[in-house]
Amino acid sequence: MTGILGIYLFDERWNVGNFGVYGLMALQHRGQETAGLELIGRSRQRLSGRGLVEDVLTRVDAEGHICVGAVSPYTVEADEDVQPLPLGEKVSVALDGRITRVEGYSWDGSVSYESNLRRAFARHACGRSEIETVKEFFDNCKGGFAYVAVNDRMEMAAGRCSLGVKPLVLGKFGFEGGIIASESCVMDVIGERVPISPAENIDAGDAMVFTPFSARLVKGCSPRDKAYCSFEYVYLARPDSYVNDIPIYRVRRNIGRRLSEEDRVDADVVIGVPETAIPFAMAYSNETGIPIEKGFELTGRRVRSALRPDQFERLKGVQLKLNVISESVRGRRVVLIDDSVVRGNTLANIVYLMKEKGAKEIHVRIGSPHIVSHCPFGVEVPPEDELIGRHLSEEKIAEVVGADSFKYLSIEGLVDAIGLRRGELCLGCFNRVYPEV
Amino acid sequence: MKILLVGGGGREHAVAAAFARSSCTPRLHCLSELVNPGISRIVKDSGGEYYVGDPNDAETVLKYALKAGVDFVFIGPEEPNFRGVPDALEKEGIPCIGANREVAEIELSKASMRDLQWKYMIPGRLWYKKFRTFEEAAPYVEEYAESVALKPARQVGGKGVKVIEDFQVYLKEEKKRVKKQHVESIYRDYMKGYGDVDFKILIEERVWGPEYTLQCFTDGRTIVPMPAVQDNKHAFDGDLGPETGGMGSICCGMNLKWGVNDERAILTDEEMGKSAEIVRMMVDAIQRETGRKYHGVVAGQMMLTSIWGPTIIEMYSRLGDPEALNILAVLKTDMVEICEAIISERLNTVKVEFEEKATVVKAVSPHGYPLSRDLAKGHPVVVHDHEEGVFWASADLKGSGIVESGGSRLVECLGVAETIPEASRIAERLTSKVSLADGWGLFHRSDIGSEKSLERRIMLANMAREIYKYRERRGILGRRMIWIPGKGLEEVG
Repeated sequence: MTGILGIYLFDERWNVGNFGVYGLMALQHRGQETAGLELIGRSRQRLSGRGLVEDVLTRVDAEGHICVGAVSPYTVEADEDVQPLPLGEKVSVALDGRITRVEGYSWDGSVSYESNLRRAFARHACGRSEIETVKEFFDNCKGGFAYVAVNDRMEMAAGRCSLGVKPLVLGKFGFEGGIIASESCVMDVIGERVPISPAENIDAGDAMVFTPFSARLVKGCSPRDKAYCSFEYVYLARPDSYVNDIPIYRVRRNIGRRLSEEDRVDADVVIGVPETAIPFAMAYSNETGIPIEKGFELTGRRVRSALRPDQFERLKGVQLKLNVISESVRGRRVVLIDDSVVRGNTLANIVYLMKEKGAKEIHVRIGSPHIVSHCPFGVEVPPEDELIGRHLSEEKIAEVVGADSFKYLSIEGLVDAIGLRRGELCLGCFNRVYPEV
Repeated sequence: MKILLVGGGGREHAVAAAFARSSCTPRLHCLSELVNPGISRIVKDSGGEYYVGDPNDAETVLKYALKAGVDFVFIGPEEPNFRGVPDALEKEGIPCIGANREVAEIELSKASMRDLQWKYMIPGRLWYKKFRTFEEAAPYVEEYAESVALKPARQVGGKGVKVIEDFQVYLKEEKKRVKKQHVESIYRDYMKGYGDVDFKILIEERVWGPEYTLQCFTDGRTIVPMPAVQDNKHAFDGDLGPETGGMGSICCGMNLKWGVNDERAILTDEEMGKSAEIVRMMVDAIQRETGRKYHGVVAGQMMLTSIWGPTIIEMYSRLGDPEALNILAVLKTDMVEICEAIISERLNTVKVEFEEKATVVKAVSPHGYPLSRDLAKGHPVVVHDHEEGVFWASADLKGSGIVESGGSRLVECLGVAETIPEASRIAERLTSKVSLADGWGLFHRSDIGSEKSLERRIMLANMAREIYKYRERRGILGRRMIWIPGKGLEEVG
């Protein structure tokens, strides 16, 4: 779930440094551990580090009319492994998701993922760096990923694996060039205001190739069913983005409606856990007529807490983010809506705080099915023995977190809410069924 | 009947083909810098001659017109108009279809065009500023210019325009820097050597909406609008990439319909009417200003904007290229008859008719166009099978019989059908008829006239329409009001 970005302008007078920084800020929700930007112009410069975009990319004194960038949720050991990842001297790539194998290369388990990619590329390219060679390499890569790659010849290729697991869109910048990004919200932040649609979806298996003389979409062969990541719709993507041409906000609203249909409950107030679950709660309230109220106030900066690697950070995140407004809950029966439950301890914390502030009943509704499995394509899901949904029933979870009832969204409900066919979605984290790569 | 055609691009190839269809079976001569293989064939078949020379030089044109003893001269491109070629011909008593130097001012000087539009309060006028030097423009760009179109104030072959939307404050500094650099290069590079206009730099407000070209025949008394054509300026698919002279164009019915028997259209009849009225007012105004008659083609390169509805972006003193191909493919009336009516100022007596067909043109260009034309030039061209529907543009037929690319659009492929998407598919098939013998790449846009692109254009038109109609209802069409804190309400325009 890395956020990836590529900007390609044809006029060499532009310096896209700041466009890169703000573009990556628009993708910050996809990864907060490392940030990196490589600018390509008269020279190539790479800026990267650990932390948020605004901390890492503070002074962009580099120049270039082309750039590639990434924000990643993974902690890395070596500086050279910070994305965008250099694949040797001439080529760099921003990569969302996971490449699980490369045709014609045998994976070496004794070295890092990044080292394997570098070796596989070196073997494929044999010193060449033409954009066709780079694109071919990613055509040979299997897994669930999207990429933006640049070379030393002012060329850029960006594409999605044939399964389409990870999203990618193309936006325009007037007569100046194009912008590639994980999500369309980037175009709202740094692109032109286009009255019709913010961005074009790049289909599974397809790639955009930019050279100083051309910009063209290369159709890939993608005969099999797709495996669009369903977690994008539930949690990962921003609600102002489109993923596979589907507005995220519409899906979130549909999820809230489905939750209200799947299990009716008598209550006085609906409260959503910020930020992701707010649209679920609004739709739930509109559908049932139970009023919605603001339940929490935040202290400090907004961070995505659920997928932080260590428990202290997660709880700190929750406690600072989610101070319960007692007036909203005191003496009332509350429908509390959250987006997902991973280990359950942040939810337990919230329910405890609400009860302490006088909530009479708490009915927890989760806007996604129960998470039971690790993601092979890079969504940060903890080891399976930590996943509460894999081990406990809904009834048991209600008791553990201290709620009066607890229900997940059904898998059917999620598929309906997204509005794609089941065969077009990867639902692996909910049902352990993964596409064949 | 003998005619001299001036110019050798795709537009002129289409004009030559239209003359060749005439019942007058004229003997056609052509004068241009490069030998257009398509025109060359038509000229030869008609028993005429191909002259290689500078079409912008009045003496050269006059010399060949006299040599060939033609009945009239048809001028294709704009530059001969700017250089007074029609004036020189008329002085010698040779009738000419081509705007004379004074009326061609509406295209030559984009600043004069706006001055005129504002002076006569003609609708669809954008807000603008004009400058004589870079030094004069720089402080303005530094302080005010936000979302703008930066233009050379003279028509310089459609080059040098930069449109920058400047809306996000956090990207302002960079955009300001590029704007200033571009204004400087307009002054120092694009306008270099053009001493025929006072104002060199034009800065206009940026607008959005679907663009269309409304071409009209005129004899100075009557204006005959042709069907609206929509050009595609971006070099690459999906409206991506740098601005070109036009990578292809679509046309169906008067108002850019989806198909012959289709309700869907980019423009309404009312908008077409307003657009034609605007062009008529521009012609009246320039004639009144100069006291000269306009004989030839005048065109409004227009946009349906949220501020005005039909709005002038630029004026043409000739047919558009590639827009000419769309129009001439469906022109039913004899082209010679129209030209004669223009010359004798009785255009009102000719019924100019167009066939109800959808047309799509796709230009094929060598890699390097439009930003590095030197790289696009001089490649030997191979034509596969017959050339029906393929019009030669920037190509040079060498003495050896080999055709070389000229650096701009190489050929323009025309599809004619019942709907625009069908015509697009026909044009698409034609694009593979040419290639370059040395392996250098060619490109064209596959999306022009596609269902998806048409849907988008209609949607865009609807969005602009929604807003300008609101303005019309409120009686604030074209008015821009700004509240300046501490100063009060100010109105622009």
